[in-house]
Amino acid sequence: MNHYEQKDTILHAENVSVSYGEKTIIKDINFLERDTVRPGKVQGQVIAFLGRSGRGKSTLFRVITGLNKPTTGHVLIPDSTKKPIDGKIPAKDVEEGDVGFVDQRYTLFRHKTVYQALTYAMRNSTLSKAEKNDKIMRYLVEWGLEKSKDQYPNELSGGQRQRTAILEQLLSSGHYIVMDEPFSGLDIGNILNVKTAFKLINESHDLNTIIFSTHDIELAVELADSLYVIGYPRNAEGKLETFGTILHHYDLKAMGIAWHDSFGAQHRDLAEEVKKALLAS
Amino acid sequence: MNFRSWFRPFEILKKEHNIALIVIWVVMVVGYWFVATSGEEKLFPPPEKVIAGLQALYGEGLVVHIASSLGLCLKATLISVVVSLFFAYLSPVPFMRPVAIGLSRMRYLPLTGITFYLAMMMHDARSMQVGVLVIFMSLYFITSLLGVIKDSPQEEIDHARSLKCSRWEVLWEVIVKGRFDYVIEVLRQNLAITWMMLVTVESILVAAGGLGVLIKNSDKFMNHGRIVALQLVILLVGLGIDWILNTTRKSLFRYSKI
Repeated sequence: MNHYEQKDTILHAENVSVSYGEKTIIKDINFLERDTVRPGKVQGQVIAFLGRSGRGKSTLFRVITGLNKPTTGHVLIPDSTKKPIDGKIPAKDVEEGDVGFVDQRYTLFRHKTVYQALTYAMRNSTLSKAEKNDKIMRYLVEWGLEKSKDQYPNELSGGQRQRTAILEQLLSSGHYIVMDEPFSGLDIGNILNVKTAFKLINESHDLNTIIFSTHDIELAVELADSLYVIGYPRNAEGKLETFGTILHHYDLKAMGIAWHDSFGAQHRDLAEEVKKALLAS
Repeated sequence: MNFRSWFRPFEILKKEHNIALIVIWVVMVVGYWFVATSGEEKLFPPPEKVIAGLQALYGEGLVVHIASSLGLCLKATLISVVVSLFFAYLSPVPFMRPVAIGLSRMRYLPLTGITFYLAMMMHDARSMQVGVLVIFMSLYFITSLLGVIKDSPQEEIDHARSLKCSRWEVLWEVIVKGRFDYVIEVLRQNLAITWMMLVTVESILVAAGGLGVLIKNSDKFMNHGRIVALQLVILLVGLGIDWILNTTRKSLFRYSKI
């Protein structure tokens, strides 16, 4: 069992719902994630959302990233611009740009080279021009993009594009990054690239938090330390409702199966359980 | 050489095959021209008359007339690009959207009515020519630009928003800077209409020279050789402008794959 501690709240969704007219997409979404600290190790958080198509994962992600306002409820993150009160950082409603967002097409500015895109992502940083350049160059080397720094998105391979899109958001938003189906339609090589990116993000800062969705249950169980199943709940008559909500939460840290290099029997059992939960929702 | 592939739908041919096909078609068209104009009855003038017409036109200052038309086209294009970009770029602002859409719809207005009011407002023919061209070019240009803006993917807008761009920064980065190559492409497509209209405008409003005036004069005397020669000149100049714009877009914007 890996030792860890749970510290301050880093992400809190409170009674979130989204409706368009009469149509409710998601309702009663509540979850809370804390900063996980492992002794002698830099450890970020990886939170997975699994759900069948049309259950509201993308809608929830747009709310978490501040791109859409919820109809009811709040998504709260620590407000790093405020001073701590009683040792705790005050919370604030998430706004556009607080949480990085990478869509499944790994969208980039079509008119900016990799280096220009990363420089633009850091335009609000208080670092000097030289410091920004050093930071970008360091990331480019670490992420294997130094040779592509002067290339435009249409000149990049799929893997290079993914890494640039992720890096751009990391440099802009700080610690949070939401990825909507980052493994969708990727070949085995690019899946490995994204997995490596997850590792790099996770091991670079304690507060770094990746929130992602996928239809690959095994991959979610392998990578996440916290896993949510989103789906249609059943009403009193046992019939499925038509809005998405969180049906199950699996804390893989508490279960002792987070941060493992191998995919063991416990992982397989959990994947099987999640699969059943998905089919029932 | 597999000639059957030339007649198979969706077949992708080698470059030399494509060139061969173009050469064959040009030879066939020119050959038909020679044959069709060799008898007694003929609709089109024979090549020798066209060449003679071209020589006569050159003697009458064809180059000056081309320069005059190009100058008019350039002036009208620059003004209409500025006007159209202003309205199109502001179209994502809800307050300005009805204005941009309204202007786009105005393209159905007839030319004659507009020229009547312009004639009352302007006192020299050249300004009037520019005015007519600017109005009509702008309406088509705005329509095309609105299409480009409408087709800008929501993902690109969300991407900019997720990078802490304000709404005006989104407009600047995604629409203005991110779609600048499309402006050249739109200009290129619309210039064909403009070039066609330019000749008409020049011939409607008899002014100081231009290809339109030359056509009008040739038309009066039923000089077919000159008319066809002029048509060919206008076509070649138009194609030249098209080529320059396309090459400019490709060389200025490496990322542009339209």
